[in-house]
Amino acid sequence: MVQLNLPKNSKIKKGNYFKDKSGAKNIKKVNVYRWDPSTEENPRIDTYEVDIDNCPSKVLDVLNKIKNEIDPTLAYRRSCAHGVCGSCAMNMGGKNGLACTTPHAEIKGDIDIYPLPHLKVKRDLIGDLDGLYKQYQSIEPWLKSNSKSEVTEIYQSKEDRAKLDGAYECIMCACCSTSCPSYWWNGDKYLGPAVLLQAYRWIVDSRDEERKSRLKKVADELKLYRCHTILNCTSACPKGLNPAKAIAEIKKMLATANV
Amino acid sequence: MENKNPLSPHLQIYRWHISSLVSIAHRITGIINFVALIFICIWVFLLFSGETNYNLIDHFLKSIFGKFIILGLIWSFSFQILSEIRHLILDMGYGFEPKMTKISGLLVIFGSFFLTVTIFMVGKNLF
Repeated sequence: MVQLNLPKNSKIKKGNYFKDKSGAKNIKKVNVYRWDPSTEENPRIDTYEVDIDNCPSKVLDVLNKIKNEIDPTLAYRRSCAHGVCGSCAMNMGGKNGLACTTPHAEIKGDIDIYPLPHLKVKRDLIGDLDGLYKQYQSIEPWLKSNSKSEVTEIYQSKEDRAKLDGAYECIMCACCSTSCPSYWWNGDKYLGPAVLLQAYRWIVDSRDEERKSRLKKVADELKLYRCHTILNCTSACPKGLNPAKAIAEIKKMLATANV
Repeated sequence: MENKNPLSPHLQIYRWHISSLVSIAHRITGIINFVALIFICIWVFLLFSGETNYNLIDHFLKSIFGKFIILGLIWSFSFQILSEIRHLILDMGYGFEPKMTKISGLLVIFGSFFLTVTIFMVGKNLF
């Protein structure tokens, strides 16, 4: 059964308020989800007053500023800061995205920052993505070509290569999967947009010889057809990809091809 | 071992988009229509079994509450039909660009109200 409310241990409490001490003129309030695994307490929302005039343009810069200047206990994942690694995926202003590519000026009013939705929280803004990685593994995301020699090159026409555009760019940040209500309610069985986009990427790869068995594998009431075209995934993707369309293409292949 | 870590907030914080709004409304109207069709079947069945039944239902449907129900059902059926057409187009693989999903979603929402008014007026012989 779908549980719309948060479980008891996940209810959010009001947290600490960090007043600006620098005497800044232009202040933006930043509400950040906090949870410390070393205590038995519920998660809380801490509010920081940030001197936004002396802060670079992205949400990640705001978080760095908080961590460096206000509260060093804040924990979040980040690495490249250029929208390539996918580490800093989180929920900002009610929408999933990469903190390093989301300008804080785009968020009106207070900036609300939460971890990616409907994940087990490891600490503060860090969600547990183990389930998603296991599902990714389950679609066997590598080239399978048994008949062709392993030493010769496999040629691919320009047209066939173009089919991978819009699929291979995925950085597996999980913004799409964790924006999907269907994935929230059935995340243990439904593969979710990120993994299905990758499944699609290998299904349409002309060099791959296991197309049929790949299709057969995802052709499942729960794995694939839990997609109800809610389209949160496409609007969340920070790389501008379209997982919803990829899923629709898989459905179409299954409906038309004799698998 | 059971994971006792808290669950991050989801429905509570995620902003609504037009597409997600249309999707949930599609489900809700679907359930309403399902129940409504059962009642319409019962209604037809009752009509067969006598005039007193007819008068009773007629009386109910002409009350303000009855009219509200009728209008609500017309809207719910209108919405379902338009949204279903949108889904058919999506299932054919078209209209997945974020801009298009927004436009088609808005068309469904406004179209459903337009259709409601139109059907109601046709029913009232206002055309």
